[in-house]
This record gives sequence, C-alpha cells and structure tokens, in this order.
Amino acid sequence: MPRLTIDGKEIEVPAGANLIEAARRLGIEIPHYCYHPGLSIAGQCRLCMVELEKNPRPQIACNMVAMDGMVVHTQTPKVLETRKSIMEFHLINHPLDCPVCDQAGECWLQIYYMKHGLYDSRFVEEKVHKPKAVPLGPHVILDAERCILCSRCTRFCDEITKTGELGIFNRGDHSEVGLFPGKVLDNRYSGNVVDICPVGALTDRDFRFQVRVWYLDTQKSVCPGCSRGCNIEIHSNVRRPHHAQGRRVARLKPRYNPHVNDWWICDAGRYGFGSIDQGRITFPQLREGGLLREVTWREALALLIDRLRAYGPDEIGLLASPEMTNEELFLIRRLAETLGVKNLDFQVPPREPGDEDDFLLRADKNPNTRGAEAIGLWPADRGLDAWEMLEALRREQLKCLWVFHHDVTRCGWPEGAVLEALQAAQCLIYTGSNVNGMTERAHLVLPAATYAEKEGTFTNFEGRVQRIRKALPPLGDSRADWEILGECLEALNAGPKPNRPEEVFRALAHAVPAFAGLTYRDLGEYGLMLREVAHGASR
Amino acid sequence: MSLAGQMIAFTPAQLDEVRRLQALYPDPRAALLPVLQLAQEAFDFISPDVEQYVAGLFDLSPAHVHEVVTFYSLFFTKPVGRHVVSVCRTLSCHLLGAPDVVAYLKERLGIEAGATTKDGKVTFFTVECLCACEMAPMMQVNDRYEGHLTREKIDRILERLE
Ligand code: SF4
Ligand code: SF4
Repeated sequence: MPRLTIDGKEIEVPAGANLIEAARRLGIEIPHYCYHPGLSIAGQCRLCMVELEKNPRPQIACNMVAMDGMVVHTQTPKVLETRKSIMEFHLINHPLDCPVCDQAGECWLQIYYMKHGLYDSRFVEEKVHKPKAVPLGPHVILDAERCILCSRCTRFCDEITKTGELGIFNRGDHSEVGLFPGKVLDNRYSGNVVDICPVGALTDRDFRFQVRVWYLDTQKSVCPGCSRGCNIEIHSNVRRPHHAQGRRVARLKPRYNPHVNDWWICDAGRYGFGSIDQGRITFPQLREGGLLREVTWREALALLIDRLRAYGPDEIGLLASPEMTNEELFLIRRLAETLGVKNLDFQVPPREPGDEDDFLLRADKNPNTRGAEAIGLWPADRGLDAWEMLEALRREQLKCLWVFHHDVTRCGWPEGAVLEALQAAQCLIYTGSNVNGMTERAHLVLPAATYAEKEGTFTNFEGRVQRIRKALPPLGDSRADWEILGECLEALNAGPKPNRPEEVFRALAHAVPAFAGLTYRDLGEYGLMLREVAHGASR
Repeated sequence: MSLAGQMIAFTPAQLDEVRRLQALYPDPRAALLPVLQLAQEAFDFISPDVEQYVAGLFDLSPAHVHEVVTFYSLFFTKPVGRHVVSVCRTLSCHLLGAPDVVAYLKERLGIEAGATTKDGKVTFFTVECLCACEMAPMMQVNDRYEGHLTREKIDRILERLE
C-alpha cells in the first residue's frame, strides 16, 4: 500500500488509487469534471491539476496513480491559477443562461466557478452556437451549448451499457456531443447520463422545469422495481406543490452502493414512481349493495376484526405480498399464527415474465421475495397455497380471503377462473395502494401507504437487508401495512401495536434465525446480508 | 448497408489490405485512419452506412468512427464531384489574391464554395493554410498543388479536368 503526502498530511491508500481518490480519503476535494470512479479515465477536462514535488509542471490527478513517497500539493498559487484559467476556458462558449437552465442549483459549473473561478469574463467575441433542446431519446434532452465535453456520457454508453449511441463529433470549439446519425438514446439505463453529466447539457425530460432543485427534499430509500433493490434517493416536492400540479415525487436518483448497484439504476426503476401519486386509494371503503362507500378507519378495523372472528381458521386465507417489508410480512405471519390460519402464501405468478439482463434488472419484479421466503410466508402444514386458496373459494370451502397488494385479476392465472373464485368469496378484503381490479371486487378496501411513505426493510435477491425510509406522509387516509396489521393484532389481543417498524424488526431478528443479530443501526448505508441459514430453517 | 441500392462492402483485395493495415499496429484500431482513406476511395465519400461498415471491421461503435471522420476535414461526409478543388484562403494567399481566385472559380463553375457542379464534375472548397505559401495564391486539385494562380492558369487547369 503506497504511502504519500498530500498538502502536508500523510496517508496510506490502496495500490492503484489515483490522486483524486487518495485526496478524498483525507477530506481534500480535488475539483474535476470528466473523472468518474465508475468510468475509464479520460483526462479531458484538465481541472484536477495538482503539483507534484520534483515535477516541473502541474499534472492531472485523475490519471496519476498514488505512489510511495509522492508529495502532492493541491493548493499552491500555481494550482489555483491553473484551475481559474481552466474554468475560464470551459466557460468561454457557454451561454451563461443559468436562470433558464434546469441544472441550476446542482451544476458543477456554478459550484466550481464560485469555488475556483471568480474571474471577470473577458470574452467579448460572438460565442459558438450549437444545437439546443434536442431530445436524444425518451428520457434525455441535450443542450450542446452547455456541454463541457467531459465525455462522461459517451463513456457511460461505451463502457457500462455498451450501446455506443453517443459520441463527440467535429473538432476544436465546434466539437459537440451527439448521437450517431439515426440512433436514439433509448437503452434500459439511459437516465444515468443525466446524473453523471456535471452540467446542464443533459437533463431529464420528465423532471425538467417542474421545480427548482433547491425546493426538493431528499430521502434515502431502495427501489421496489425488482429484486435487485437498487439504492435510491427519493426527491420530493412538498414545498412548492403548485409548481408541479401537486405531484409529490419529483424524481428518483441512484444512491451509491458498491454491493448492489454502484452508481446506477435502470430507467424502469427511475421512472416507475407514478403510482405513488396517481390512482391511489385514499380512504377505507366498504361495499354495500354493490357500491363502495367511504368509511372511517375505526369502522373499517371493527369490521375487519369482526370478519376475522366470524370465520374458522380453515375458512380464512391470507395472501401476503413480496412488495411488503420484512416487518410487515413478519406481522402477517404473526397474524396467521394468532388466528391459527394455515392458508398462507405470498407468491402470485406475473402476467408476463419480467425483463432481465446481466447488469441490474432482475426478472422478479418484487423487492422482497427473499425476505418473504426467509420469514416463511408459506402455507403451514397442509394449508393452502395461493392458487389452492382461489380454488377453495370457488368451491366455497374458503369463505374469507385477505389479499395484500396483489391484483390477482391481472396475473399469470386464467382470468376467468380467478374472477369466478373472487365472485364466490363471502368476504374479500383488499389492502393495497392503488385502484385496480381488486378494488372493483373487494368487500372491504383498506388503503395502504406506498414504500415512499413508510419505514421498513427489503431483502434483495442476494439476501441483502436494506432500509427504506419515509420520504412523504401517506397520501389521504392511507396507512402503512405495519400499522394496519399492528392495530389488527392488538384488537385480537396479540400484544400491543408497535410504534415503529424498528420495534417489529427487533422482534423479527429475535424470532427468525436468518435475521438474527441484525439491527437498523447496523444495516447502515449499504445494508447487511441475511445470516446464512440452512434451507428451510427459517420456516 | 446499401446506398442507392449499392452494397457497402470492400472487395476481397481491399479486405486483405485492411487486415494488412490492422496487423501493422499493436492495437489494430490504429489502422482506422488508413482504412477510412481506403473507404473514401472505394465508396467516394463516408456516409453513416460506410461508418457502420468500417466500425464492424474494427469492433468499434459506429459513433466512434463518426467521431474520427468528423474530426478530420479531409474525409467527405457528403458526395463530392469527380474532382475536388480546395482554394487556400489563409493569410499569404489572401494577400496575394485568393479572393480573386475564389470569385473567378465561382464564376467559371457557376457554384458557391462547398458545392458541386450540376454535371458532378467539380466540387470546390475554401480551406485553411495548405502549407505552400511560397506558391501563393494556391489551391489543391485532387492530389496536386497548383500555385501562382492567375485567371489563365485556372482556365488551363479546369480544361484539363475530365
Ligand atoms: S453532455 Fe454532459 S456528460 Fe456529456 S460530454 Fe457534455 S458535459 Fe459531459
Ligand atoms: S434494476 Fe431493479 S431495483 Fe434497480 S432500479 Fe431497476 S427496477 Fe429498480
């Protein structure tokens, strides 16, 4: 491990680390545009110049591997002057149109000009003009005048997606980023180029001009789009709701996790948040004479308990969902145990097989299948599985079915048979977030919060337990599943309702060996793996 | 892969030349420029279809080949005439009468700089310094430099072109 000195401080870094990474470990930020730890080194922007002792001229830090005994200076007059000149150079042909640029507030030209530029503009000539507001694909739009030609976007398409749509064409001050003639930037990960573009050249067609970024609130979470469980940030707009017609989730951004998704997320996950604000069920409803009527939670819960008590354990089925958190699934298991219900399952086949690739996307479009397996949401001895429950409904052996989140009217099972079964149910309870085929049929509809509106954990396909956090209050009267289940268990005299999911997680870690020893605090930023357990031990 | 119905593909002999050029360098990609020159000779100009074809020979993205083609001004990305005339307009030539040369060529050919005559015979460009100030004003006609230009000399040069 090489040991070097940067700005008078000694540090040991892993072999192969460059000077930007070495300095970062000391809390010293070397400014840069083109360097990105997930991409190859381009040495294009020249902003990361530092001075090395015994070296006559400043060198770029991104392409300089830390060596034993190196003495590096990042704050000498020569370095500061070089940075300033390079900033001036980058901004020569830039239109300086921050007031109408959507990147303003999170633009590295603005940030670095204030930190390292602060020169007075000397450029009086006509600037070079380039294409503006060019859609590159379904999600990304280009303003070539704002581009600083860092080549991050082209390297992303060459190295990460290997789709090669983008290039930097022409020469000198006429160089511009663009698509190969006839190509469209429509790969499954195209949105990432917006994140890595350090300036306002590439912006997000869905997000731009909705709300200024400084009005956004951010919260760490995990994408529920598939079983990869990519780490994300939810950016919500609650301070300026009138700027986006009440749309609360402004955008999702990837959050770095070296064990799961590095710096990236897929477009399906990135743009799949519409259901958080649209088509929601916002209050409990009861079907009377074929019509749904709004009821209070008090009425709804009383009815729920009444129904669960009215039927024998063999007449009740519980269909949980791998969209629910570990905590919630654990509470369902407890509910099944409390009621003595053995008809318990969580899996329903999807209508179409999910999209999968060898990068991030997983065919299983549920965030917590592994968690449901580990907690053991299976039929208890000789209980019915999901399909058998439907068949038993049709035969009127099962009387009451409580379905969480699944829209079984739109799944891989024959629709006719499913509808017939649901029709035959004496009592169909549905807990979900969005209006769908189930809300049209259920006798009691309980509105559930989405993943963005609650705390909890998901377990990804590899067995990594990761936290989701509450970015928004539940819409309308909706409540988190753990709260609904907690109330229900309390009413059934199965212990006091939990105040926080963390309490449930503690109980879960106590009861399910796969989770033993895990705590919210230890899960930290990157999550932790389930304890290796012998197959079936957690059932 | 076709242009006006014509397949874009090198002949076996041209492909042998491509392989020979690629074998000259530790990284075969270094042969991209000479191969593009070969392509320009073979297909007259470098269309996106040609770029795609060449990219396939190198296992590069077509965008990367397009970067190279657009970087260099001597690759034609649009069809040109059978002869290409490039008039230098940089300082020495300018002082010694390049504007007259350009005006006369426009008059003789009946086209603006950058265009091709209707019969497809001549394309004429104005270009920056061709490194032949000693023969200013000068122009390049296909592969030949023609200097000390006068109206008479330009007439003679144009008459020689087929
Ligand atoms: S568009 Fe953005 S990421 Fe791409 S080269 Fe320009 S500045 Fe860099
Ligand atoms: S790969 Fe899966 S978890 Fe990751 S962003 Fe896409 S849908 Fe979400």
